Amino acid sequence: MSSIDFSDPATIAFLTDALTAAGVDGLEISRPGGQLRIVVAGNGGARISSAEATPHAPGSASAVVKAPMAGRFCVEHPAASAEPQNLPRSVSDADIVGFVGVGHILLPLRAGRSGVLTRLLAEPGALVGFGDPLVEIELPS
Amino acid sequence: MIEIVETGPFNTVQDLGRPGYRDIGVSASGAMDPLAVRIGNILVGNDENAAAIEVQTFPLSLRFERRIVFAVTGADGNPHLDGTELISWCAYIAEPGQVLELKQPPRLARSYISVGGGLDIPVVMGSRSTSLRGSFGGNSGRSLAKGDRIAIGEDAEIVMLPAPGLAVVAPAVALRKVFPAPVDGALPIRALPAGEHDLFAGDGEAFWRQTWRISSRSDRTGYRLSGEPIKPTASVEMRSHGVVPGVIQVPPGGEPIVQMSDANTAGGYPKIAGVIECDLWRLGQARIGARLRFVRSTHSEARAVEQAVARYVDDVRQTSRMVKRALKAMK
Repeated sequence: MSSIDFSDPATIAFLTDALTAAGVDGLEISRPGGQLRIVVAGNGGARISSAEATPHAPGSASAVVKAPMAGRFCVEHPAASAEPQNLPRSVSDADIVGFVGVGHILLPLRAGRSGVLTRLLAEPGALVGFGDPLVEIELPS
Repeated sequence: MIEIVETGPFNTVQDLGRPGYRDIGVSASGAMDPLAVRIGNILVGNDENAAAIEVQTFPLSLRFERRIVFAVTGADGNPHLDGTELISWCAYIAEPGQVLELKQPPRLARSYISVGGGLDIPVVMGSRSTSLRGSFGGNSGRSLAKGDRIAIGEDAEIVMLPAPGLAVVAPAVALRKVFPAPVDGALPIRALPAGEHDLFAGDGEAFWRQTWRISSRSDRTGYRLSGEPIKPTASVEMRSHGVVPGVIQVPPGGEPIVQMSDANTAGGYPKIAGVIECDLWRLGQARIGARLRFVRSTHSEARAVEQAVARYVDDVRQTSRMVKRALKAMK
């Protein structure tokens, strides 16, 4: 099987263009790691949604927080004077686990689940694309 | 509506002020940290000049009576919503009945609460700012009190706010290149020599050299500074003349006064310098007891700082709009 990254904005854009050119209404791709659905709207503008399935590692379950849009991955609020937050650490669902920065705007990333933030899946400061996995949260079993 | 549950004295409704009426003796008023008000309003989707609550004595808590977007900007403390810690410089949605609490910030002086739709308060002479000395404007011309209920304007933008909130890199961080950090604990405040500077001769130089402390006799009208007194070479009798925020006067005692947002409209003390407008918000965030040093600036530097601030505000305005739209389209 190929290893195309269907969460890559470039891939999504390419697929969307291809669908539009072919006059196809939409496309749905399901893989063990997640699902991508592109719906080509009638008068321009496609709707894209992707959802991650919870990958199951033997013995433990974890959730992945993904980038809601393209931007720069920030682990901490730039104004925070606090000491760096060490991993692993416990988080609850409403906790902010990082930000995606676009210019001076910061999109908070909520943990979404309670558990233990075990690792970062992207480099702090890196440019990330829509849907890129950013942090992993191990869920209580 | 929002209801004030608890407040210290001298917390008021402020927008960007009421300029243009000094000739009839009306102070401009307006937020002591106007940059925080502008950014808070942009985050919640308001016009930059919408009225916000200026909190300078803590704690303050208020209850939201309906679903509302709000942001707390300005000082460095984190607000709490129903006991949950939030971050400042971030827009959130509050549900009806939720209580927002602001505790004493660690270092800075003033927090601003902006709400989507703005505070729905009558405009007096072009502004919703409270004039405490004139007892008009804002919330019936007075400070907020427990039990006050304030109306909120219509908010058409609430649907645009991303569910996890929308935050911003605060000006002190984003603009750290143009707003230098304190040196040995003294905040650098840029100023230009003013009309009577040369009357102070050697003491004029001492004005720039020494570290001043903001005395306890300071408020929204003016900051009185403590330090080694400076005296003019000859005592001068001057007629009262127009004064604006930022003007630094030297009364006969020799300890300077910096006019702030509720500045007098006229005064007769000699003026040694004037704080550049772009540095006034930093002074507005400096607390009683804080130390500062005046740095001799130039018109071109003041202009460059102004332009950097304008670029930052423009970026926040445009990018926040773009991000909100993009996220809405992807839903």
